Amino acid sequence: MTSPRLRLVPKPSEPAPFYAAAEKIYPREISGRFSRLREIAVVVLLGLFYGVAWLDFDGHQALLFDLPARKFHIFALTLWPQDFLYLTLLLIIAALSLFFFTALAGRLWCGYACPQTVWTELFVWIEQWTEGKRARRMKLDRGPWTAQKLLRKTAKQILWVTLAAWTGFTFVGYFTPIRTLGAGIADLSLGPWSTFWVFLYGLATYGNAGYLREQVCKYMCPYARFQSAMFDKDTLIISYDEARGEPRGPRRRGTEARAAGLGDCIDCTLCVQVCPTGIDIRHGLQYDCIACGACIDACDQVMDKMGSPRGLIRYTTEHALHARATHVVRPRMLVYAALLTLAGGVLLYSLFTRTPLILDVIRDRNALYREVHGERIENAYTLKIINLDDKPHAYRLAPSGMAGLELTAPVEPITVPSGSVSNIPARLAAPEAVAAGVHRIALTLTAVDAPRIEVYEKTRFIGPSP
Amino acid sequence: MSTNPQQSVEPGRRRWGVDVGLVLWPSFLASCAGSLLFFAAVDPALLRDAGPRLFAGLDREAGYALGFIFFWVIGALASALSIYLIRTERPARRTVGPEPP
Repeated sequence: MTSPRLRLVPKPSEPAPFYAAAEKIYPREISGRFSRLREIAVVVLLGLFYGVAWLDFDGHQALLFDLPARKFHIFALTLWPQDFLYLTLLLIIAALSLFFFTALAGRLWCGYACPQTVWTELFVWIEQWTEGKRARRMKLDRGPWTAQKLLRKTAKQILWVTLAAWTGFTFVGYFTPIRTLGAGIADLSLGPWSTFWVFLYGLATYGNAGYLREQVCKYMCPYARFQSAMFDKDTLIISYDEARGEPRGPRRRGTEARAAGLGDCIDCTLCVQVCPTGIDIRHGLQYDCIACGACIDACDQVMDKMGSPRGLIRYTTEHALHARATHVVRPRMLVYAALLTLAGGVLLYSLFTRTPLILDVIRDRNALYREVHGERIENAYTLKIINLDDKPHAYRLAPSGMAGLELTAPVEPITVPSGSVSNIPARLAAPEAVAAGVHRIALTLTAVDAPRIEVYEKTRFIGPSP
Repeated sequence: MSTNPQQSVEPGRRRWGVDVGLVLWPSFLASCAGSLLFFAAVDPALLRDAGPRLFAGLDREAGYALGFIFFWVIGALASALSIYLIRTERPARRTVGPEPP
């Protein structure tokens, strides 16, 4: 980064090398406001990830996407495959939130919340702890294999592998009960597929956070490529104030910059050294920038030392950089906010009005009707009752919509276990005098112990032609 | 970022690695989405109970995992075909002239 390098121009007859090998990036350690914020985010998010898996609620794991049993426990709520709507809504809300926050404040997600960032940060901490600070790490990598190097690298690998394995285990623990999983590992009785997923997720963590790091953001992440579509001139970005910084150049402390014909940038390259993706923010906004704010922290420290005001690199907007007003409230934000409120509202409404019971009524296809004892007409149905509650219920069935209509089978109450589907044959009968023709009727199914759980399903009752 | 010519590996080898990534990664994402949608609607146990004999003896966990791998493989084939078509593309010669060396 000292002097401009001459680039080799390939001979016209040779194909240009499309891909240069990625240079290993040694991010320099940094402390400051935004680093502090990210440390907090790492501790909170990873604390939640590793911790919540062990929480219990009402006799079951509090958060468990129980795939083997095909039901999701989310604290008090139990969702079944029939509740797929909620998952869809949740995904829509997640996408809209991403749009909203990206338009508002740029890549907040990338800098503070993305698992890639969070785990990379953790792995870098381990690296700093075992191999030392940036300069030491670079020296260690260049140097020969000494006992010291072997010791430090081994220590790092042991910690990385342990952490990655624990991460894989915790991840799978959200899909199969974590205590059972732990017991299965302890006595080596874990099934092949659980082993496979633990291993795959552990390996992904190890590879992504230990080695791929910023390359995931640069080459693999689709969001990094399309996030700019949500940007406008009022979006918060991390930017170098070119007008203030240029012309850049080294100077003695206390030099009056303007008198010396210089801007405020002393070209110390600290902003480049701390960058986890290895870019130079002074080249302007780049899609490699994950908006972590490390360069702001680095530059603020330098500005403090130089006695210049902070903020040569800062969170700003394109409008602000060009001395124009920034509008937080703007049509784009209103549209995202409206969509987000709508989707959130629909989700909350449907969750609060959710009845954990489904009734399907299927008419018997074999016979339209049957005469019983010569005075009554009977129709046969199959009831499909799905109990979506997390406890068993007994239900009462009440027909309506026709005078004299009675339930002759099954015997009430009908008991359905939690999370089960029961197919129950049912028969309805009505006096012959009123049965002629086709009648629109309805069946109401009510839980005996919880009248709130009630569903209503329309069907038909068919009698002899009038 | 500066590109250091000394550090760039010979293009052929590097490109192969990138291609493997370009095949496996998008198909992995597609498989995540595909498995989620498919298994939300279809219980893998149903394949065992009502499906062809191929699936006899399959438990749910195996069903999920095999389904995921199946979607991944199909996605990877599609990605690989795309890469192949891109890599083997030759621009049409629009001018009449001597063969290039």
